[in-house]
Amino acid sequence: MIICTAIFLLPGIVSAQNKLITGKIKDKDGPLPGAGITEKGMETNATLTDASGNFKIKLKGNSQILVVRNIGYQTQEIDVSGKTEISITLNTDSKGLDEVVVVGYGTQKKVNLTGSVASISGKELSARPITNVSSALAGLAPGVSVRQGSGKPGSDGATIRIRGTGTLNSNNPLVVIDGIIGTMDAVNPEDIENISVLKDAAAGAIYGSLSGNGVILITTKKGAVGKNSVTYSGVLSFARPSNLPDFVSDYARFMQLTNESARNMGVSEVYSAATIQKWQEADKNPDGISASGVPNYVAYPNTNWADWMFGKNQVVQNHNVSLNGGTEKITYNISAGYLGNKGIMDNTGLSKYQFRANIESKINKFITLGTQTFISTQSIGKANTDNAFNYLWQTTPGIYPIYEGKYGFAPAVEEPVTNNNILTYLNGTGGRNKETRINSTLYGIFNIYKGLTFETKVNYQDRYQELSSFALPIERWDFSTNTLKTPLLAGSDLTTSFEFNKNYTLTFDNVLRYITKIGDHDISAMVGYNQFYYDYYNLTGSKKGLIDYNITTPGSATDISNAVGGTEYDRSMRSWFGRANYAYKSKYLLEGVLRYDASSKFAPENRYGFYPSFSAGWRISEEDFMKGMSDHIQNLKLRASWGKVGNNVMSADDNKGNYDYMATYQKVNYSYNNASNSGLAVLKIGNNLLQWETTTLANIGLDATIFKGKMNLGIDLYNKITDDILTIPPIPLTAGTASAPTQNTASMSNKGVEIALGWKDKIGQVEYSVTGNFAYNYNRVTKYKGVLSEGYTTDANGNSIYSSNIGLVSSSTDAIPDGRILEGHTVSEYYLLNPYKGNGSYKNADGSVNKNGGPKDGMIRTPADLDWVKSMIAAGYKFGPVGTVGKGQLYYGDLIYADENGDGTYGNNADKKFTGTSTTPKYTFGLSLAAAWKGFDFSMLWAGSTGLQYLFNQSGINSTRTNLGNAIGTRIANDHYYYNDANPNDPANNINAGLPRLKWGSSDSQTNIPSTFWLYNASYLKLKNVQIGYSFSKQLAGKIGLSRLRVFLTGENLLMITKYPGLDPEVGINLSYPTMKQFAAGLTATF
Amino acid sequence: MNMNQHIYTTKKAFMILIAAIGICGCKKDLLNTAPYDSVSSATMWTSDNLTDLGVTGVYQTLRLGIANSGATERELYQLDGLGFSSMTRGGNDLVTATANSSSGRFSNTWKELYEGVARANDAIQNIADRSPSSPEKKARYIAECKFLRAYFYFRLNQVFKGVPVYLKPTAVNGFTKERETEAKVWEVVVTDLTDAINEANLPLKYAKGASQYGHVTKGAAYALRGKAYLYQKKWAEAAADFAKVKDAGYSLFTGGYKALFKEANEQSDEMIFSMQNIAVDGYGSTTQWYLGNRESFGSGTAAGAGWNSYYISPSLVDLYENADGTKFNWDNVIPGYSTMPVNQREVYFLRNNLTPAEMSTFAAKGLNMALYLPNGNEQRIKMAYTNRDSRLNATVIVPYSTYLGRPLNGADQNYTMRWPANNDQIPVLDLFSDSRTQLFYLYRKFVYEGSSEIINRQYGAIDFPIIRYADVLLMWAEALNEQGLTGEAVNKVNEVRARAGIASLNSSAATQVNGQTDLRERIRNERRVELAGEGISYFDELRWGTLKEKVFGPGSGVNQVWGAITVPYVWKGDYITVWPIPQTEIEMNPNLKQNPGW
Repeated sequence: MIICTAIFLLPGIVSAQNKLITGKIKDKDGPLPGAGITEKGMETNATLTDASGNFKIKLKGNSQILVVRNIGYQTQEIDVSGKTEISITLNTDSKGLDEVVVVGYGTQKKVNLTGSVASISGKELSARPITNVSSALAGLAPGVSVRQGSGKPGSDGATIRIRGTGTLNSNNPLVVIDGIIGTMDAVNPEDIENISVLKDAAAGAIYGSLSGNGVILITTKKGAVGKNSVTYSGVLSFARPSNLPDFVSDYARFMQLTNESARNMGVSEVYSAATIQKWQEADKNPDGISASGVPNYVAYPNTNWADWMFGKNQVVQNHNVSLNGGTEKITYNISAGYLGNKGIMDNTGLSKYQFRANIESKINKFITLGTQTFISTQSIGKANTDNAFNYLWQTTPGIYPIYEGKYGFAPAVEEPVTNNNILTYLNGTGGRNKETRINSTLYGIFNIYKGLTFETKVNYQDRYQELSSFALPIERWDFSTNTLKTPLLAGSDLTTSFEFNKNYTLTFDNVLRYITKIGDHDISAMVGYNQFYYDYYNLTGSKKGLIDYNITTPGSATDISNAVGGTEYDRSMRSWFGRANYAYKSKYLLEGVLRYDASSKFAPENRYGFYPSFSAGWRISEEDFMKGMSDHIQNLKLRASWGKVGNNVMSADDNKGNYDYMATYQKVNYSYNNASNSGLAVLKIGNNLLQWETTTLANIGLDATIFKGKMNLGIDLYNKITDDILTIPPIPLTAGTASAPTQNTASMSNKGVEIALGWKDKIGQVEYSVTGNFAYNYNRVTKYKGVLSEGYTTDANGNSIYSSNIGLVSSSTDAIPDGRILEGHTVSEYYLLNPYKGNGSYKNADGSVNKNGGPKDGMIRTPADLDWVKSMIAAGYKFGPVGTVGKGQLYYGDLIYADENGDGTYGNNADKKFTGTSTTPKYTFGLSLAAAWKGFDFSMLWAGSTGLQYLFNQSGINSTRTNLGNAIGTRIANDHYYYNDANPNDPANNINAGLPRLKWGSSDSQTNIPSTFWLYNASYLKLKNVQIGYSFSKQLAGKIGLSRLRVFLTGENLLMITKYPGLDPEVGINLSYPTMKQFAAGLTATF
Repeated sequence: MNMNQHIYTTKKAFMILIAAIGICGCKKDLLNTAPYDSVSSATMWTSDNLTDLGVTGVYQTLRLGIANSGATERELYQLDGLGFSSMTRGGNDLVTATANSSSGRFSNTWKELYEGVARANDAIQNIADRSPSSPEKKARYIAECKFLRAYFYFRLNQVFKGVPVYLKPTAVNGFTKERETEAKVWEVVVTDLTDAINEANLPLKYAKGASQYGHVTKGAAYALRGKAYLYQKKWAEAAADFAKVKDAGYSLFTGGYKALFKEANEQSDEMIFSMQNIAVDGYGSTTQWYLGNRESFGSGTAAGAGWNSYYISPSLVDLYENADGTKFNWDNVIPGYSTMPVNQREVYFLRNNLTPAEMSTFAAKGLNMALYLPNGNEQRIKMAYTNRDSRLNATVIVPYSTYLGRPLNGADQNYTMRWPANNDQIPVLDLFSDSRTQLFYLYRKFVYEGSSEIINRQYGAIDFPIIRYADVLLMWAEALNEQGLTGEAVNKVNEVRARAGIASLNSSAATQVNGQTDLRERIRNERRVELAGEGISYFDELRWGTLKEKVFGPGSGVNQVWGAITVPYVWKGDYITVWPIPQTEIEMNPNLKQNPGW
């Protein structure tokens, strides 16, 4: 408050002069619309050039100097004394010194920044065939790791991590759109002017408790004073999955492999010789007509489900029109967009309509009112892709998907009657999935006094989703006998269901700013208040008994027993904050930020958090002693910051944990005397000591612009320590089934370095640039539940006993069940058994069994290996986890594990070791290349991550378990161990295979268990985007009435380089909707 | 613009500012949010209604382990798959010798039973301290919760043999106790049950249709305490408690063994304590799902069908005596059957009138088709299942018997179990199982018949017995026999046999009881056939020490009807008769010591 009082004491000078200046601003290509002209010393007296680059401005001060600015160009100051008309050509900005960066609650010149902020221009996102903002950020900024986990339309948003994994719960950065907390992918990429990523405390602390995971600020385009311009941009792209899962599709082979797995286990074969023979016969003449009158390939199918599911090329189209313009009184940017993405799978398509109006009106000199209003609505196909992927590995090639409109049923009698035809999951559901967002901000800016402004905002966001679903009747046929196996369900058996869910947020935000310059001292200050309320509720219902397939409203269903459900939760926050900046000659920069937050998620006595941050910058290049170097070094700045930020999200899901501090009793079901009778039981244990998680961030950075602006360099070193991390550590089983309480348990540190290096130059007429960024992050859990101590102790009887407190001091998380959290280790570091490694000598010189003489790679491959195992057991050693030698237990082709703790048991829990690796990448990097020649432009973007590993042993795809109705991965089929112990000369024997033997049955607790055998390097490098464009010259474009016309070809996700045997390391460990490879053509035209 | 104007605008702006701050100031309770769907611990138990709801919450623990995605192996009836009477379809970790201390079976069982303990502890303490209900009601509820707590410790002690005992609500960091001895846990069980029995407000028995039906009764407490005495070999105390059960008004249901397990009789006088089920999602049984077959209800895939995740073992089928009380012997039906190789026996189970293609398929399989009677094969095998203990056909779907299943053409159909099963459509109506390339004895007991009995496989309506009077009678017989009271014991067994319509003991040479040891074996067999599928047999075998001998003998495995092994059983060691303390629990509480062998 002292700052505020000080603000009013500062005098202002008001004087006026009235001289009209007209002019034209150009760049090397012609008139430059939208350039900003400001009278120096009268920052509020400003205008913009119109579409022809013309402007008019009436001088009001007495500086006689106009400042001309445009993003991407060098700012020029023009002395207009004695002139009324000027013409200026702006040079493209090679120094970047005047670049303005959006920061929390304001903007700053990049050179004056003391925090670590990465800025991404909207141009870097435009003209790409992307369907959402988040996935487009990959590779664009150092320290920003972007992982697109799915290519499913509507669910293709990426996971973003700023500077590593900072906490054990949600690591999602805060997203602020035009000053209001929002959802990144709700923004139309074409509407974006700029994205800023705030990485350190200095930049983020203004958002206090919300900014522990970094902040992403999105600014949308505003209207520009001048003549109206209409811009159309359209992209048409062809999408294909970038990779497909690979299963055995030859059904005869599949059956033989399954039988092999059953023989291996000593259990009855699954498929009869007669069935296998049928397929083998049919395979000789696939196009022949079978007895049932359909071709053999239909009657006796060998289905490649991945091809059927994803085999289609699909067109994604994206159209956007924007209207931009305004007068001195009112400016506007109005846009409309359409995205049509049919999806590569049936019934997964998305269509989305988006509208935005950013309108600002200058009521008078003191009051500016405006709005940013955004509406979008999207509809997504009802295909049950979760089921489709869940069942993709739970089906066999022996089912023909669809033939002449009829869905297939497994003809082999051995298949379970529940055999899964994946297409029925995609096409078996009808209904609606529509999501609508309305997001409107009304704001007022009041120029109260010279340099003093007050800005108030009210934002209301409403997101609601309308869902309905009903079964589309599907018949399934056995084509080999032409019999109907699954008849259409009677309407009376069909259910229709609906859901309506909605959340709304109400934000109220007030900021008072003051800015002044006294001599060489630039001072600015800001104080603010924010309150936020979020509420979610839903209503669900279902009803059975349709009078007809087509009559699907719940009201028309016949069954009187209805199921209606619904839930609701809410949360709120109240915050006060302030910031002060001081700069001396733009040479010495200081900034301080304070924020005070209160959240409803904590008990009243624990709900307040205080977040200070301080930062300083030193522009060495402005010092006198550097003047001599100014030809070489245009900018050199050293920055340092320290601050605290927080986090109040208690789960990987931001919407959970709203009431975790309270122990609550929830509804459970029981009945007495045939009447339903609800009960209450504690399903989640409370913890009223819960408090904020605090992140302390220190950052040192160096920015340099050298070689006449040709080279830009930014280096940041940071140390981020998160304390009191909100986690849900496992509790003893003796506590029961209730969910464990949320607790402030852990501390974690992330240290890292980020480097961004850019080079921009010209060779002849070719302009080119190369920008690379690289980040290394070192993550350690610094405090958890204590130190691991394991080893041998001697008990009262003198026996040596191995003990470990791993369960006390460490735990795993649901997300990574085989990774553990332990002090001194990276978060969720894999903790696994290691396969045994012996020397193959079996025996000692004296004939006794040599415990180090077992199989060399831990797989029991030869009779000598198995004999060694038996001799070991006879000698008193044990093997785990199964331990007994036998076909169904531990046998040829199984893995045995190293006895890491030396207790004589090979493969018990005490033999697990930390691998030093996790699923989180240690290194992320991006590289973009761009070149332009005359009208042509070319760009290319690479992104990648290394230093991550995945434990990949999923049934049906990368596991040697087989099970009735489950698929077998090709990788497994081609390289697995087999040994027929009854016939050592069986030609089918393959004892040198890379993978273990096939094992029938869903549970194998010896070989297909978490061990480093199944751990894979998941590093990858992807060519994210390539683009070639051509811009027509002004003259040529003008002939068809356009001021600008650019056409382009672009490709997305064109190349993936990885050793990971799964689908796509970016998508994650297991099967799910793949990311898309896209080829697109588009144009941008401005009228 | 002049100075006045400026000041005016400034004033206006400040008014807006003040108004704005006013708006944010007025919502004082902005930060005090509360959950919409639950009751906080501060208010729980403080009204009569909340007391009722809290106690029901304790009962609901009986339902833990019920799942809609597959059998959890933790529901009572599923536990028979670990023992004599039943077989888990693909085997399970305890019979295939692949279990280890990390197996989910152990940790989940431990966790769910201790959840019951935790809820009971919470109720017992808070009803006394905080509930405003009437003293009578509070006393009755506390007695009920003590019974339930005793039941959960009973279940824990049956398999883990000595567990840590917590009798007060405990914070999550307070679970650091050592294990008590097995005997000490029995004492805890008996103490709680004695408290319940001594509670005047706990009724002896609820009448059929009483609104409180399903709550614990004194009769149930006597029955469970008697069983706890049985575990401690306190035979006299056990017998005395079982007599009290009879005195409380419990008796055998007289409408026949099969009808006992139908909805109409779920509140008969035989049912002493049962898990309550109704046909509402989240409130019903799953027996019809995991024991049922493909023809069990439903008229299409959406209605679902049974998965026959469990089979009846041929050993159990063979144990059912002939109606006259003589032992069943295959060789009397098919001479030489018991000595021929098991895989060869399949020929006797084939349906009549096989096609030539089928004949050659089976010949290729190695069967001696000369033994096949194209027109008499079915008649011959059916003889094996006729004139037997009536409980056989009430418990098992045997080959060539029919099962009233799902509707076709608008009417429920009778499906016949044939081998091979070719066509389940009209008019053939072969019974399809979920594993129809092999032939197993399928459950009939607890499997709903026709479409009228059930509306969805996820929620069957019939209560599941936890303790019923036949069980009490046979335990009573056991307690008497162990005291040398053979004659009295025979009478108890005969009550059960009479209801089954099978010759009484001591009524013929074959049924003549020859002393205590002979009767002990006969009581055990009576329990095996009477209580099949009820989640009792496995624990009996553990208690008697007969698991290895009865379940893991030569030829044991998941057996098709003729004995062919689809998954062989492997005896891992005698130590598997005591379950391991779950690995993670040992790790989190170093005061717990592991059972030997694990």
